[in-house]
Amino acid sequence: MTMDTLDHPSQNSGSRGARRGGFARSKNADRLTRALVIIVTVVALIYILLPVYWMIKSSFQTNIDIRAQPPHWIPRQLTFQAYQDMTLVIPIWRYILNSIYVAGAAAVLSTLVGCSAAYVLARFRFPGMTICLVMILATQLIPPITRAFPIYSAIQSAGLLNSYTGIIIAYASFSLPFCVMLLRGYFMNNCPPDLEEAALVDGCSYFSAFWRIILPISLPGLAAVTIFTFLNAWNDFLWASLLLNQGEMKTVQVGIGDFSGEGGNVRYISMFMAACVTATIPALIMFLFVQRWLVSGLTAGSVK
Amino acid sequence: MATISMRQLKKKYGAVVAIPDLSLEVKDGEFLILVGPSGCGKSTLLRMLAGLESVTGGDIAIDDEVVNDQMPRQRDIAMVFQSYALYPHMTVGQNMGFSLKLDKCSKAEIKERVAAAADILALTPLLERKPAQLSGGQRQRVAMGRAIVRDPKVFLFDEPLSNLDAKLRVQMRAEIKSLHRRLKTTIVYVTHDQVEAMTMADRIVVMSAGHIEQVGTPLDLYDRPMSRFVAEFLGSPSMNMLTGELIGTSGAMALKLDDGSTIALPHAATGMTPGTKVTMGIRPEHLSLATGDGPGFEVEVDVTEPTGSDTLLIGGVAGCAITCEISGRPKVAPGQKVRLAIDEAHLHFFEQESGRRIEAADLALAG
Repeated sequence: MTMDTLDHPSQNSGSRGARRGGFARSKNADRLTRALVIIVTVVALIYILLPVYWMIKSSFQTNIDIRAQPPHWIPRQLTFQAYQDMTLVIPIWRYILNSIYVAGAAAVLSTLVGCSAAYVLARFRFPGMTICLVMILATQLIPPITRAFPIYSAIQSAGLLNSYTGIIIAYASFSLPFCVMLLRGYFMNNCPPDLEEAALVDGCSYFSAFWRIILPISLPGLAAVTIFTFLNAWNDFLWASLLLNQGEMKTVQVGIGDFSGEGGNVRYISMFMAACVTATIPALIMFLFVQRWLVSGLTAGSVK
Repeated sequence: MATISMRQLKKKYGAVVAIPDLSLEVKDGEFLILVGPSGCGKSTLLRMLAGLESVTGGDIAIDDEVVNDQMPRQRDIAMVFQSYALYPHMTVGQNMGFSLKLDKCSKAEIKERVAAAADILALTPLLERKPAQLSGGQRQRVAMGRAIVRDPKVFLFDEPLSNLDAKLRVQMRAEIKSLHRRLKTTIVYVTHDQVEAMTMADRIVVMSAGHIEQVGTPLDLYDRPMSRFVAEFLGSPSMNMLTGELIGTSGAMALKLDDGSTIALPHAATGMTPGTKVTMGIRPEHLSLATGDGPGFEVEVDVTEPTGSDTLLIGGVAGCAITCEISGRPKVAPGQKVRLAIDEAHLHFFEQESGRRIEAADLALAG
């Protein structure tokens, strides 16, 4: 679309000749720009996707093929053996279920708490509101690692070390500031106060107006913060290895990490890659499931 | 149906006083329109009535019951918002039946009442659509349907037509008026459009800076505005205002304009006192092209605006803008000087300082 748009001025300039300025360019300049854009895009895509391609490709190869020199960029023979064998050396399904539980619960918890807090901060004025907002924002400025000891200590004191509850609370608290700020902006920009007022006049209380009207029309915003929290928790390695590192309860990232540390990425490299591919699938499904909410404009037509 | 009483009502936002002290009675079944320029407090007043704004002082009573501390849902009112405020995730039918659902009405009753309201507003074929699939006029009707389905004591309208195009606005004006005639429910309606106010209201309340300037029937306000503000606010094009000093004797009075020219007022100024500084107002339709020697003044026409049935001649005299509405299509060109005749029976006089209306008797005393 962009390239098409750029075409018109050059065509005009060709026909009228004398036109000057940014839009009056020769066809050669346009071709050069188009070529540059394509080259930059392709390089960026290769840079991003090459490791992913290597992981997927390797998961369908034997260890010998993976280590072949020169490398086989395109597999000569595809095999699903690694996917069949990986469960023998790593309890991947258990780890995935652990991750789904932990990440899902953290996402639900932080979305529930976050949307309530964001609604109050978006709609009501109260003493100390600005300080609340500044403090929420300030938490984002602190490097995560500096919180490692206090959080470990707090979770240990609460007796929640190596428990799902402990890490769920930790994940939810990490994502809450972002959820609150994003949803506050969402409520302020996408949910006209008229809707709540109409609901109040229709017979709702403040809570039921929020529950029945505001939340349903905020699904895109809620989906965004839910997937953000879910993916943050799903991809986390640092906190999971600190707070939940016992055998059966490990999350998939820690499980694969431990397998790698035990030499799995050398001796069983194809199984390691198969486990990595498998670990990305739930997050991918989650994203595909909620992405339609991310792009839909539910408030269209509610107000002029 | 219900009466509404507002007694010594006050509204403050911190140090800002939006409504200093306002008292108003709305009669049972009356169509009352609050009109005024932006920021005059009319929407604030409506929102206080609805329970969407707190009351700083004074009382609001609906049917003699003070409702200051009641939530909107307890007041038995329905409100139509400027933005329609339709719930985007619900169908038209669900939007209209939402309040009944909250009232725990049975499904059959909700269906019946929604169908009845939809029938009145010609919304029956649209009941399964979502707001995004409707045109502006249809959305407006749904917003009205959502209000009437509840059969409330009072309808509140907050500039409901301001988002519609001119043609649709005229059509919806008639629909709202006919709806009121049919339902006979008390309506308080806010608008800044004086044409809407004039054409729909039983009574108009003209507001300025949180005060009531004047309350009365549309024609009362039009024919006998009690202040220069009301005189200029109502009427389109607005009333012409000429400032000057009354000179002459009580038998042969004239208005001396700021540029020294005079306008003879042989009848309108009878009994008035020379030396009084006044603003004289006359509506554009009460000026005409002079054919004889009667009272009037000369104007150089800057612009002519044919509206089809009438022609507006716009010019100036003594630094005051003058608009004259002539029936038909007079042959007057921009730049041409014409003499305009004044219909003395329709002259209005206002104090220059306060803008208050002066009757001839007051003028006699003022001297």
